[in-house]
Amino acid sequence: MDWSHFIYFALPSVICWTIGAAMAYRTNKPGQVIGWTVAGLAIFMAFIVGMWMSLERPPLRTMGETRLWYSFFLPVAGIITYIRWRYKWILSFSTVLSFVFICINLFKPEIHNKTLMPALQSPWFAPHVIVYMFAYAMLGAAAIVAVYLLIRSWKRPIDRKVMSLCDNLVYVGTAFLTIGMLFGALWAKEAWGHYWSWDPKETWAAATWLGNLLYIHFRLHRYKLYKVALGLLVFAFVLLQVCWFGVNYLPSAQENSVHVYNME
Amino acid sequence: MWRQPWGYKEGWAICIGLFITGAVLQLTAGKVDPTLFRYPLNAITGGLFLFFLIMVYIASRKAAALQWFYSLTASITSLTAWMVLVIIMGLTRQVAPSVTVTHGGLLPGLGFMQMTLSWPFMLLFLYFLSVLGLVTIRKVAHFRKKDIPFILNHAGLFITLLAAILGNGDLQRMRMTVPLEQPEWRATDETGEMKELPLAIELKSFTIDEYPPKLLAIDNTTGNALPENNPENMLVEETPLSGSLLDWEVEVIRSLPMAACVHGKDTVNFVEFHSEGATSAVFVRVRNKKDGVEKSGWVSCGSFMFPYVSLQLNDEISLVMPGREPKRFASEVSVYTQDKKQADALIEVNKPFSIAGWKIYQLSYDETKGKWSTVSVFELVRDPWLPVVYAGILMLLLGSVCLFIQAPGNKEEEAAANDTKTE
Repeated sequence: MDWSHFIYFALPSVICWTIGAAMAYRTNKPGQVIGWTVAGLAIFMAFIVGMWMSLERPPLRTMGETRLWYSFFLPVAGIITYIRWRYKWILSFSTVLSFVFICINLFKPEIHNKTLMPALQSPWFAPHVIVYMFAYAMLGAAAIVAVYLLIRSWKRPIDRKVMSLCDNLVYVGTAFLTIGMLFGALWAKEAWGHYWSWDPKETWAAATWLGNLLYIHFRLHRYKLYKVALGLLVFAFVLLQVCWFGVNYLPSAQENSVHVYNME
Repeated sequence: MWRQPWGYKEGWAICIGLFITGAVLQLTAGKVDPTLFRYPLNAITGGLFLFFLIMVYIASRKAAALQWFYSLTASITSLTAWMVLVIIMGLTRQVAPSVTVTHGGLLPGLGFMQMTLSWPFMLLFLYFLSVLGLVTIRKVAHFRKKDIPFILNHAGLFITLLAAILGNGDLQRMRMTVPLEQPEWRATDETGEMKELPLAIELKSFTIDEYPPKLLAIDNTTGNALPENNPENMLVEETPLSGSLLDWEVEVIRSLPMAACVHGKDTVNFVEFHSEGATSAVFVRVRNKKDGVEKSGWVSCGSFMFPYVSLQLNDEISLVMPGREPKRFASEVSVYTQDKKQADALIEVNKPFSIAGWKIYQLSYDETKGKWSTVSVFELVRDPWLPVVYAGILMLLLGSVCLFIQAPGNKEEEAAANDTKTE
């Protein structure tokens, strides 16, 4: 299984997710919505498992591979949010976002390297990146909702309920961000000798984490200043973007980052 | 300003004041020396710090002004100030703590090239930590069962950060180069100073497993792999094998994982060779898809004994084999401690060995000799505060799980109540 097979899995997945998303608007049967979404996820996961087996390592190393997990976790985040809070539109939203990342992998495939350096061969590797990707999916969803609300706020006041959606997404995203970061710390102790070394990626992960904590605390304090809170949310997401792939281009990170290996 | 009750203005003013104080200290006294705080001084400082925070909390019951220091306003402003410095750190190239920055300019002058050792960073971090500590102490003092997630998150972070910063002075990271079958007990620290350690390592054997060789096309003039920025490569796992690179069809006819180079008068040939210094070589036939030009020859990554051999495809492009990437490297060792104990272990990357308070990591080997290296390089780390840090991390992990499970749901009423209280 390699990237040339990707489209045969991605397309059926997107179709399943679209049907699920449409069902969320039309029926009162959440079972069908969940069923279609999970079916799409199963098909997508089959491809990830296939890649994993043929690469003989977890597909988590290159940017294309992390995008693969991102496309997978967006609908996961969507369906969890749907099950928990029953927002009708969340699945259309996660499907569209996931589709965008699938398209990037389809149209700009990267040549994928099969080798994995010894430091990355660790039982911590998969949980560290997978948990992070899930957090990114949650926070990405929150940031897009925030941008949408900010633009719409010219015409319509911001709805309290949508604000609490943002809160929910950020809380869950931050929980996973914390877990991903701590898994990284525990792994770093085993592989590099210390749990935190202010490697550029770690520095940006800390900034991202603090950015999200800032949003959470600001919301507790100035509940009614919706626009400032949403601005903070978007800002935290910008930090996250720098952390995710921006570091690969930052001059400050060129020489000495253990995390800049995914460009090869 | 400064009239009770305090708000954001006072919060920002405190942060700016601390930043200016830090900048003045940095310019006059130079960077923070983390090695000053060795045991027992760091433990005493930590104890005093905790005592101070508890005293502030007790005093705050009478002195309302102190209550501000565990308010959300204090949390938000101190967190923001520290975050700003972390972002500056992310944008500035950092140099190792042991290096002395000599050149002038604003960033080096304020210590931003060694951010974690700069006074502004240290002061704002300590301020953030104090606020976090007070917030935690207050919740613990008014303990209610529903506050458990709050306490796990805040106390967990407080313990982790406090133990990490205090433990920094006791952290020892030594590098030891061990040749085969000669016990070694001397190691160099981060500044390059040689020290004797309370344990010795004897290297019994060192092995490297490598990934199969790769072929790639490079530009003859620049030496860069092609296509530029997004190089293609071909992994030679088993022969016969065919694939394509750029416009060329590549057929691997023979692959010798252990080979020696034999020079003829004007030919280069490779033969099987199972001894020290062996290299990898493949015999390939290539055909250009556009003009049908065919070529064939050996390609090898070379070793410390044999030269590296490439196949020139045309004036612009050559086919090369980069050095094989290590899949796993491992050292079989015996470790001797001062109390005459001996332990045998296999140390690999990601699989350190713990003994007598030290963790021994596989770090490197003689890279010029690659798989034929007769030395192994280890890193030895001693971090007596690690259990405390891990206790904090565990609390934070549990706190995060709570954060996820306990859906924040609709906090409107609670938050609205907060809003009116502080306004």
